[in-house]
Amino acid sequence: MSDMSIKGRPHPASVVGTTFAWVAAALVATVCFFIIGFLVYQGSGAINWTFLTTDPQASLMAEQAGGIRVPFVGTAILILGSILVAFPLAIGAAVYLAEYMADDSWFTRTVRLGLEVLASVPSVVFGVFGLSVFTFSIFQGLSAQGAQGADTAFGRSFIVASIVMGIHILPFIIKVAEEAIRSVPKSLRQGALALGMTKWRTIRRVVLPSASPGIVTAVVLGMGLAAGDTAIVWLTLGGSINMAVDNWWNPSQWVEVLRGTGATLTTYVYFNSPAGEGNAPGMAFGAALVLIVLVLAFNLIAVYVGRRSANAGRR
Amino acid sequence: MSETFVSADPNETFSMLEGMLNASAPRIRSTDVAPVFQIRGLDASYGSKKVLHDVSFDVPEKRITAFIGPSGCGKSTVLRCFNRMNDEISGFRSEGTIHLADQDIRAKGVNVTALRRTVGMVFQQPNPFPMSIYDNIAMAVREHDGRVPRAKVDGIVEKALRQASLWDEVKDNLKDSALSLSGGQQQRLCIARALAVNPSVIMLDEPCASLDPISTARIEELLLALSTDYTIIIVTHNMAQAKRISDRVAFFLMGRLVELGDALQVFEAPKRNETAEYVRGSFG
Repeated sequence: MSDMSIKGRPHPASVVGTTFAWVAAALVATVCFFIIGFLVYQGSGAINWTFLTTDPQASLMAEQAGGIRVPFVGTAILILGSILVAFPLAIGAAVYLAEYMADDSWFTRTVRLGLEVLASVPSVVFGVFGLSVFTFSIFQGLSAQGAQGADTAFGRSFIVASIVMGIHILPFIIKVAEEAIRSVPKSLRQGALALGMTKWRTIRRVVLPSASPGIVTAVVLGMGLAAGDTAIVWLTLGGSINMAVDNWWNPSQWVEVLRGTGATLTTYVYFNSPAGEGNAPGMAFGAALVLIVLVLAFNLIAVYVGRRSANAGRR
Repeated sequence: MSETFVSADPNETFSMLEGMLNASAPRIRSTDVAPVFQIRGLDASYGSKKVLHDVSFDVPEKRITAFIGPSGCGKSTVLRCFNRMNDEISGFRSEGTIHLADQDIRAKGVNVTALRRTVGMVFQQPNPFPMSIYDNIAMAVREHDGRVPRAKVDGIVEKALRQASLWDEVKDNLKDSALSLSGGQQQRLCIARALAVNPSVIMLDEPCASLDPISTARIEELLLALSTDYTIIIVTHNMAQAKRISDRVAFFLMGRLVELGDALQVFEAPKRNETAEYVRGSFG
């Protein structure tokens, strides 16, 4: 062992590998910041008070094309609606998967397979599927507009879009929420059971509160996904830049708003881009910037809540 | 993470510790009292692995019974039969009878929830819920009695914390997270939590395994005080601890109850060779 050397160069393959990993990481960061920087450069000029507080007009003249108020509200409605649809189902499924399932039962395997499939379906497929299902005449109550005397439903409304979007974001919320529930220490469950709490009460009173930061993270990530999707909105909310109802702020109109068509920031961006009809790229970049700030804010909230939970109680 | 009563002056701390240890020097209490648990012919297995063989003994009321023996000897399994925590493990099966106040707790139709209130349990790792000190205890209370007036809950919380000799340390911080307490304080909070739902038996599964000597001394002192009103069963690996606090000792080996007797007898004059070797520290 006397000739054992601890000096020498690292193996060439190691140098190549390390360099490649570094370059890849740097490239990813660069692309990300380039996109955000480009959006800020192109879009910040469009953003002003008028842009944020007026409704879009179908005009080819940029100064008459209005702003993003209604699409912004539409994004908010769709986020809330899809979370309302997804949250109870997602928590129920996550609790089942984390607490009740026997690992090898056919039912569990079926549920897991279903989730994998659901997570990998492109959102435009959900859109087409939703549109074809919700035009069945029994769903006429969910969407207001329609041709006179038609025996099918219109199939496009905030309600329909929320349901379809809710299903789209479901598997992502379930996955994160299940992880959060699983990471609650077994000792807490045992402590609660040993106090004479039933299994359900243990889950309800001890496990879910302990997992709540992770569940909040799951919901916030789901909100970001719902805010960013375009295909489902375009197909099931209607290819519009305005709402079907003009005075949407009036509570007496809210049911009609939900049953009517509308726009979100994503469809507004599409409409105003060179691919759409508005052909006002400046405004598209402005709206895209607002959208990306919104999604980034959701992600920052998710990170913040997650970090706070990691430090919870330790002073 | 220091206990609040530890003084900055090491001499003072030492004399305090010494006083506590002396206070728990061997006491002699008769174990010829009414039994709380009567165990007869208890067999248990996890899947195809048999872990208890024909265990029969009585647990005396309002005394401290220590279960000793090497790891895997079955002492924790016996403990978990007493509040049916083994029910949670799939593949667990048991035979025999365990009577608690003339009722076989293994029988069908036993209210496991009520049983676990009567037979409280404290675990090896302190496991306070990640909520406030107050809520840790209040939740256990409300869970069973439904809508209890706030003032009554306050009273129960204070009483339980006093019984667990934690009140003076936490009375001004009841809203603080229970996780901000030291390990020893957390374990006393878990004892308070168990006491709050009116048990008659408190079982502790190596409650001091993760604690420092000072915290351990406080828990031992606490158990001695509680044993005038409650039946206490403690699983421990620590022979010195069993010697200091127990009235009766059950020595388990490979799933069998090898020796059962008053603490003094088991430690000073064990009848079986295995017991003598184990308490001497030859194995385990």
